[in-house]
Formats: sequence, C-alpha cells, structure tokens
Amino acid sequence: MRDNEQRDLFPGALEMMILRTLKRQPLHGYALAQRIKRTSNDLLQIEEGSLYPALQRLLKEELVKAEWGVSSTNRRVRIYKVTAAGAKHLEREVSRFERMLEGITRVLARGES
Amino acid sequence: MNRLKQLFSRGRLYGDLSEEIQAHLEEKVEELVGNGMSRKEAESAARREFGNVTLTKEEGRDVWRWSFIENLLSDIRYGLRILFANPGFSIVAILTIALGIGANTAIFSVVYAALLRPLPYSQPERLITLTELRPQQSGAADVSKQTWDSSYPDYLDWTRRCKSFQALAGFSGDGFVLFGAGEPEPVSGAQTTINFFSTLGVKPFLGRDFVVGEDIAKGPKVAILSYGSWIRRFGGDPHILDRTIQLDDKSVSIIGVLPRTFEFAPRGNAEIWVPLHIQDDLVTRRSLRWMPVIGRLAQDATQRQAQAELNSITASLAAAYPQENAAIQVVMVPLRERIVGQVQPVLLVLFGAVGFVLLIACANVMNLFLVRAAGRRREFHIRAALGAGRGRLISQLLAESLMLAAAGGVLGLILAEWGTSLLIAAIPDTLLAFTPFLRDAHTNLAVLAFLAIAVIFTGVTFGLAPALQISRGQESETLKEETRASAGGVRTRLRGLLVVAEIAFSLVLLIGSGLMVKSLAAVLNRDPGFDAKSLLAFSVNLPPTTYPKDPDAIRFDKEFTERLSALPGVAGVASNSVVPLTGNGASIRFVVEGQPVEKGHENECNIRDVSNNYFSVMKIPLRAGRQFADSADSTTAPQHVVVNEAWAKEYLHGQDPIGKRIKFTYSPKENYREIVGVVGNTADAGLDRPDEPTLFLPFSQDTNSFINYVVRTGGSPASVVGEARASLHAIDPQLVLIQPFTMDQIIAQSPSVFLRRYPTYLIGSFAALALILAMIGLYGLVSYSVSQRTRELGIRIALGAQQKDVMRLVLGEGARLTILGLVFGLLAALGVTQLMQSLLFGVSALDPVTFASVAIVLALVAVVACCIPARRAMRTDPAAALRYE
Repeated sequence: MRDNEQRDLFPGALEMMILRTLKRQPLHGYALAQRIKRTSNDLLQIEEGSLYPALQRLLKEELVKAEWGVSSTNRRVRIYKVTAAGAKHLEREVSRFERMLEGITRVLARGES
Repeated sequence: MNRLKQLFSRGRLYGDLSEEIQAHLEEKVEELVGNGMSRKEAESAARREFGNVTLTKEEGRDVWRWSFIENLLSDIRYGLRILFANPGFSIVAILTIALGIGANTAIFSVVYAALLRPLPYSQPERLITLTELRPQQSGAADVSKQTWDSSYPDYLDWTRRCKSFQALAGFSGDGFVLFGAGEPEPVSGAQTTINFFSTLGVKPFLGRDFVVGEDIAKGPKVAILSYGSWIRRFGGDPHILDRTIQLDDKSVSIIGVLPRTFEFAPRGNAEIWVPLHIQDDLVTRRSLRWMPVIGRLAQDATQRQAQAELNSITASLAAAYPQENAAIQVVMVPLRERIVGQVQPVLLVLFGAVGFVLLIACANVMNLFLVRAAGRRREFHIRAALGAGRGRLISQLLAESLMLAAAGGVLGLILAEWGTSLLIAAIPDTLLAFTPFLRDAHTNLAVLAFLAIAVIFTGVTFGLAPALQISRGQESETLKEETRASAGGVRTRLRGLLVVAEIAFSLVLLIGSGLMVKSLAAVLNRDPGFDAKSLLAFSVNLPPTTYPKDPDAIRFDKEFTERLSALPGVAGVASNSVVPLTGNGASIRFVVEGQPVEKGHENECNIRDVSNNYFSVMKIPLRAGRQFADSADSTTAPQHVVVNEAWAKEYLHGQDPIGKRIKFTYSPKENYREIVGVVGNTADAGLDRPDEPTLFLPFSQDTNSFINYVVRTGGSPASVVGEARASLHAIDPQLVLIQPFTMDQIIAQSPSVFLRRYPTYLIGSFAALALILAMIGLYGLVSYSVSQRTRELGIRIALGAQQKDVMRLVLGEGARLTILGLVFGLLAALGVTQLMQSLLFGVSALDPVTFASVAIVLALVAVVACCIPARRAMRTDPAAALRYE
C-alpha cells in the first residue's frame, strides 16, 4: 500500500527534502514534486499530493515563504522559497540526520561481520 | 505570523491551496498528454499519482486550524441538520432519554438532599448520638437506630467524665398549647439541655441561645422559636424578643429565633424550643431512660477512642449502680446515620431501580441509532470514499448522539424539577416534618453535575456502539447496497443483545416491584389486633396548674368520656397512654413472682395505661380472665394487671398467667400485682414489627396528664371531630384537641406503611416504564427483521410455507430473545432482590411465586409485541416480495 510506503519515511524527512530542494532553487509545487522524484532517481515513490500538507506545515512554521508567480507553462502558481529560519532548520536537521544515518550504518555493518 | 491573523486569513489560504492543487493536476495532465497519453488516461494517471485530493486538501487545511474545535463545530452543524431532517426519530429518541434522565435526576435530587448533602451544622461529621441499650434490645442491629434514650444521671456522668467529647447535649420531645398568638393551638416543641444548639454549632438568627440557670425547674421560663413558627404564628414580628407567650399554663419570654436553614430531623416538627425543665424522678432516677443524647467529638478524638472511653465509664457505672445499670450497654451512632437511617435503604433501592430505567432507555435509543445507522451506511461509505477519516465519522456520530442526549437532558431537567416536587408533595406533612432535609431536594450544582454526567454517559453509550460498527464496516465493503435478503450480521446480533438486556433489566424491575407490592399487601393485610375501622384518635394535655393531682385528671376524664359517649354517632370512648400503631410508648422493668433474677438484669416490657373499657372499644379479644372493671379496679382497689399473649408466651412459657403475680423493680415500695386477664396482641410498634410483650394498668390506678383518646364511631370518624372539640371546650375552654386523626390516617402515615407504599408506587412506575421501553425495543427489532426478510419470507411462502409456519418463524425469533432475556433477568434478580431485603415484609426476596408470575406476564406481553410484526409477515405477498428485489 502506498500509505505505508509513505509512512516508512521518518517524520520530517519529506520536509527536509523539500527544504533542501528549495534551497537550491525556489520552485512551485508541481516542479518541486518532479524535482524530488527525479533527484531520487524515482527510488522514493512519494505521493505527489503529500507535498502540499508538508508545504503548509513549513509555511505555518515560517520555514518557507510563498509568492504568487507564473510558471514556465504560464500558469499562476505559488513559488516557494526557503527563509533564513528554514535554512538554519535544514542545517540542523541534516546534521542530525547524518548522525542518525551514521549510527544506523554502524549497527548494520557490525551485524554483518 | 500570529494565530489570530491566521484565523482571519484562513479563507484565503484555503482558496490558495485548492487553486495550487488544481494547477498541479493540470500541469501534470499537460505533461502526460505531451508525452503522448490520451487526455482521459492522463487525467486519471495524474490523480493516481497525486493521491486523494480531498484528503490532501483536508490535511493541508488541518495544518492551519484548531482542528478539534472546528471539527466539532462542523460535526454539530451537520448533526443538527441530520436531526432536523428526521424529526420523528429525534423526537422519540429525545423523549426516551428525557424520561430516563429526568427520572434519574429527580431521584438523585432526593438522594442528594437526604444522603449526600452535609447536615446543616458545623463539622457535622463529628456529631454523634448516644443511646443506652438494655440486654433484650442489643443484638438486633436496627434497634440501635430505633431506640434512642438515656437516663439523665448517666448523661451527667458522661458529661463529667468523658474526655472524648467536646460537648454532650440532651433533648426530649414536648408539646404545648400555645396562647397569645391567635386561637389557642397545640404546637409541637422540644426541651433541650442549654448547650444543645451550641453542640450542633447553631446560633440563633435573632436574640440569644439558652444560658446557664435556665434549665432548672425554678429558673426563668424562656423559649426559642423556629424560623417557620416565627413567620407563621407571629407574622415575622421584628420585636418578637420583647414578647411573652403562654405555653400551657406558663408564661414564657421569647429569647431567640432559629435561622431559616435550621433543621433537626429527630424533632423535625418542633416549633418552640425550651430548656429542659424536668424535676423529681426524671432528674434523679437512673433507671428512667427517656432522653436522647447527641454529642460532638473532641477535635483530637476518634469515634473508636470515644467508644472505648464510654465502655470503661459504662463498666464503672454498672459497678456503682448494679440495680439500674448492670446490664446496660452504651451505643454510639453517628447523627447522620440516625437521621437518614430509615430512608437510606428506600432511597438506594429507588436510585438503583431508576438507574435500570436509564440503562433501558439507553439501550432503546442505541437500537434506534443502529437502525438508522444501517440506513445511513451509504452516506458513510460515500463520506469515507471522499476522504473522511474513521475518527471523523465516529466523532460525527458521537456529536449527533451527544446532541440528542443534551436535548434529552434539558427536557429531563424540566421533568426532574417537576418530578422532584411531586416526589416531595407525596410525602405527608407529618412524615416530612421528620425528614426536613427532603424539603431541600431541588436542582443545585450537584444535581446539575449529575445531569451532565448522565447526559455524557447516555450520549456516549448509545452513540459509540453504532459509530464503531459503522466505521468498522466501511473498510471492507464497497459502495454497493448490501444484499437485502440476509437477516443476520453483526448489527442485528448487537441489536438482539440489546433487546435481551432490556428484557432482563425490566424483568428485574418488575420482580422488584412485585416483591414490594406483596410486602405492602402483607403489611396492610396484617391484622393490627383490633378493629381499625371507624376509629378516631386524639390527645388532650391537662396542665398541672389546673389539674395538679391524679383525682383532677380522673374527674376530667370521667366527665369528658361521658360527654363524648353521649354524642350521636359515637359508639364508645376509651383511652390509652399511647396512640396505637405509632410505635411510641414507655417500658418498665419487672420480676415475676417465683422467678429470681440477678440484680439489674430484670426483664423489661411495654407498659400502657388504659381505660377500663379500652379492650372492648378497640375490639381487642379477651383470651383469658377478665378486663379491667370500674368496681374491681378503682383507684383504691388492689393493683391488678392485664397482659397480652406475647407477654404470657415470653415470660410464663405456657403456664396459666391468671393469678400469677409480678412486681415492678424501679422502687422498693412496689408491691406484687396480680395478672387478671390476657388479651390478644396488637401491632402497637407498627404493622411490620413483631408483636411486643405488653403490660396494661388501669388508668384509675396509673393516671397521666397527657391522655390519648380513641373514639369508636358509627359513621365517618372524621365527622365527630368538631363535636368532640366542642365537648372539650364546654368542660374547659383552655384545653385543646391535639392531633385528631382517624386510625386509617394514622396507618397510612405510619412509617411502616408509608415507607413501603411510596417506593412501591415509584418502583412500580419505573417497572412499567421499563416494560414499555423493552417491548418497544423487541417490537422494533422483530419488525425490522421481518422487513429485512421480506424476500426470504416471500420465497418460503412461494415454496408452500403455511401462514402458521411464517408465524412460527417470526415468533420464534422474538421468543428466543425473550427467553434469553428472562433467563438473564431471573439470574440477575436472584442477586439484586437481596439488596432490597430491608424493605420487604412477609415475603422472601426469592419468592418463587413472584418470580414465576412476573416472568410469565412479561413473556405474554412479549408474545403480543411480536404478534404484530408476525401478522404482517404472514400477509407477505410472495409476488410482491420477489419483485421488490
């Protein structure tokens, strides 16, 4: 089930990927979805819709901000941009994630030997 | 951004989100079409990859809102719409709940006023009562609550020696004829030790408390009025403290008025409180036990310490006064227990019964909800398909059920207010006077809190089951209608269980009320031992200034009796020192000649002073010997006694009583008295109490100044009251006819009858209500199942099933539920009726006749309830039934 796959991402993972992607370049929702998919080489099957509640959460926490603009296909879209607070948050989250990943990797490596 | 700003800009935020998602989908479709997909395929692919649009929007919005409250508001809005759309359903549900909650709240108001509300004294939990028990009395547990008296010298010793009490106070009932406030009228009063009010922690609202020196016979005569009597008899006169009134033959100054909230149930009818002005024997004789004692535990003392200290004092008193105290035991009972002890079991049984009614009402409404929920399956499936989470569906149904419960609660509160006043109004004033706390039964914070809990309980009870069921069913099932032909399924099973529970509960209630009816009938059918028809009773008090000596009273009695007897419609006049059946009366210690007893361990029995013709006027049968006679038992004649059968049986063990002699032991000057007659037993202590051994003395030899007359009339006893009063005035205008009641009234108001009749009616109505609700539940379920099985029945009939087969099929279903309900109900009743043991009389809590007959009646009613849908099933037209599919 899709639902479960999505839940397999740990909480905050989606937000982290959004922030990272947006930090490189402000994007609107559709473009953001495509970008994340492509970057992950389609390894992550993220339901496109799930981006939006995540974006709303980030907006609410003021980690991103949105402005209405025009997309490459000439549509009125909201373009999301990382705020200073968002950038700081991302840094913190990434380093925390890396520590966690390192921990997990070590445990997994030990288990193999 | 602050919350408030968010709240106001949210409409725009939501719009943005929708627009954004729309753009996303369009862009996707465009891209897919660009890649060579057809537009239609592209649209569905876009949606597939996007996921649930509605749910996404909802989640996106949830981020912004205070979702709990907003969901609730929208649930309420939606629920209201649904409830208004089905007014029939809503009205039935609300009425059912209102009845259940209303009845519960009304009973709770009374229970609260009687059992939970603190007594209106300071630190009421530290107040206790003391009573002296004689050996014959100890043992029976409830006797300690009935008996409440001590001797004055013992009271003084306790006060002096017992350190566990901050204070001990005594009181005694009294009655006066009040002059100086309109017509001379008899009023009830009480005498107390001067520290009585301060022991309770009550201060007069006007004026002052009693002071030292006012409680001796020669002290100044003072009185404190109850608030009610100040208002009623003295018009709330603000200068009341300057006034002097006349009580009997004494002039008394009013020194205070008690607060409006003051009540003292044991002397609940007392309007005028005076200091104890006893003298002679009452002060000095240790064996005269007449004074109820209350006390306040010292701040650092526990009941256990106090009882231990009392026990040691009792032992030393027994050693010092073996003649009077050898066998005496002192028992301490909390004041609250003594005050509410008699009504507590009644109220608890009523509360339990009415709780059953609420459960049945809940089950019925839950049934309605389940039926309706079945009809709403499509709605819920659609909502679930559109993205409503399980939690939202449950909260939606709960919101609806809680709203119904709340509406029922509001209506119930109105019913309860009305019901409570009915409950109180049904109590006769004479009894209400001694349960003043019941007047306080009305809606207050505690009652409202109870109501709120009842509303939430009912709402959740009948809302949760259908809610869980509906949301459980939703996942596996699709949007298609379920097959119509099946009658089984979880839902029907649950509904069946509910009906079984309803039948079981109502059977318990019906059995309970059956037992009550039987007890009441047993009490009313008990032969009181005399002819209670056409009998009037009243009392006359002869004040000592005008009637100082016994011969004065005897002269008055003779003249008054002659006048009364001459009245038309009067067949006989007699007197007794106690009004029959009121449970009052004195007792005396005695020895039987030839039966030596240890000092202080003499037997004690009731003693009554009666006129010579008392037995013949009352139609009490003479079993042996003779009655008292004018010549043989005159004032100067040798002293004789008459005994009742219970006395002869208890103390002579089958020997012939006539000619035996007894002697009273209170004074060494007493001589032996010969037993000259034996009469039948009378239910003097109350119709539900065992016969008590009683001795009778002739009025001419043991005269009282307070005389209770009984008048046997030809016609209605109430009609001679006016003439009796006129005769009394003709002899002495200062005398007043006190408490004229017919014997029927006395019986109806006696606790033994009233404390049965009252709950019998109530439990009976609860049981009837329960039965009706349960039968509606059964009828509803069977009808529903018939309508669900139309096709099956049609096929059966088409295949040749006879009408009686169909009938059997439908009735069989009802019968299964009914039998299950009866079995569970009977099992439950076996346990539950034990709890009402103390209310029963002359019938066992497991009376097989009651159990069986009630079960049969319920079964018959159940058959009738099932017959209606069964007849409908029989008339099923097979063609129509099959087409229907």
